[in-house]
Amino acid sequence: MKLDPNKSPAPQEPEPTTGSAPAPVWLFVLVALLAFWGMGFLDSHGGGFDARVYAPYNSAKEVEDEWPKSGAGAAFARGELVYREVARCILCHQPTGLGSPGQQYPPLAKSEWVLAREPGRVIRIVLNGLQGPITVTGQQFNSNGMVPWRDTLTDQQIADVLTYIRSEWGNNAPEVKPEQVKAIRDKTAGRPGQWLADELLKVLETE
Amino acid sequence: MNHGPLIFLGVFFALALSWFGLVFESQLQLGNAQPTTNLVNAAQLYPQMRPGQARQGLDVYRSLGCAACHSQQIGQTGRTYDVALTDAGTNRSAVVDTLLKVKPEATAIEAQRLLEKPSATILKDVTRAAADAAVAKFEPTGAKVEVRVIPTGPDIARGWGKRRSVAEDFLFDQPVMLGSQRIGPDLADVGSRPALTAEWHLLHLYNPQIVVSKSVMPPYRFLFEKRKIGREPSPDALKLAGKFAPEQGCEIVPTDEARQLVAYLLSLRADTAIFETPMTVARANVSTNAPAATNAPAAQTTNSVAK
Repeated sequence: MKLDPNKSPAPQEPEPTTGSAPAPVWLFVLVALLAFWGMGFLDSHGGGFDARVYAPYNSAKEVEDEWPKSGAGAAFARGELVYREVARCILCHQPTGLGSPGQQYPPLAKSEWVLAREPGRVIRIVLNGLQGPITVTGQQFNSNGMVPWRDTLTDQQIADVLTYIRSEWGNNAPEVKPEQVKAIRDKTAGRPGQWLADELLKVLETE
Repeated sequence: MNHGPLIFLGVFFALALSWFGLVFESQLQLGNAQPTTNLVNAAQLYPQMRPGQARQGLDVYRSLGCAACHSQQIGQTGRTYDVALTDAGTNRSAVVDTLLKVKPEATAIEAQRLLEKPSATILKDVTRAAADAAVAKFEPTGAKVEVRVIPTGPDIARGWGKRRSVAEDFLFDQPVMLGSQRIGPDLADVGSRPALTAEWHLLHLYNPQIVVSKSVMPPYRFLFEKRKIGREPSPDALKLAGKFAPEQGCEIVPTDEARQLVAYLLSLRADTAIFETPMTVARANVSTNAPAATNAPAAQTTNSVAK
């Protein structure tokens, strides 16, 4: 018998289809347990998702506790940074603190203005700058103008840099506190322009 | 099979999730990182950009495939604490008494001797609680006592570095040569090892076995030029002896690439204490920011671990 190609073949069994069977319960339990363990691991090893926390530390507070928090040592180090990098006092007053007498920049080392027991005057100088004639360590300077830092530096930064210049280069004057800077900043707020040395000499030494 | 959209969504979310976690989140956290000022005991910003020759050296390092065998990432598994007496003050008898209480195994004579030192380590390898307790005991005597934080871990024990590597260390590197294989030692802090001078590095590149007899590192002789000695030998020529020396009348002179690579290796330093990596460092020298008018290497004293 010959097969006729045009004739449809005899009916076949239908193709198998996918059915559905319930997933085993233990699989869900396992996934849930894994997720729980994973979250716990992330929580204890993630460092609170703080970019400053690396192993073996677990939180920013833990890292912070390792550093000396306060004291003159920390203020001194921060002040040195302000002196060198932030305000760049170093450009005129030099790494030695001796200034550049040739260009009328007075010294900070052994300067009676810096070493005064109460920092009232030197805080004013940093806040508003200074110009005109001034006598430092017995030498006459005709300052062509120190820049005001009132708007650039914070109270903390001014206190730090003053603490630094008051204890570097053999200087030995007490630390300056940010509160002292703030008090004088508020008192002299709205004062235009730079100080003259004569004006500063009128400020009480006990301030 | 008619699950195309479902499979697409599954793949899409899996990739999107890992992209958010690994790329986007890191970019948010560190993408705008700037040189930090949160240094302790060092008056400069960190990191500083590498000097020009060292930046060229990074390209040489990259093109030679150094990163295939050398990683640049130091691990840290923990930290330990020392307690040091920095200033005994005036009330010496009280300090000695306290010292004997804190360190019962010491004799009175040893305690006296510790007081004479400018900076004596009283306790070594103690826990934070023990260190703090010791400091508290010294407080009433007026002596100055400090707790020193010392990072620990296998890499640090090998002398490869002083603390772990953090993101800041690589801020100016493009690309970052982290590396993943350690067929050779880790190089993250190789520039701060005083024994490894520029001369040492040049000899080592010319033939590693000159300085490390069992080294498996291949020689990089093509970074050097062999030439006839002219009227007098070049001052830059390598000082080679024995079987490594070239034939009579010739000298080995480093090319620019060799110099750049060595400048780069010497600029690899990860020893600055920044906020992320607490460690106690010696007080920085006052004149660390001297103008770079000379070619002398930077002062080695800046951040050595006080130990």
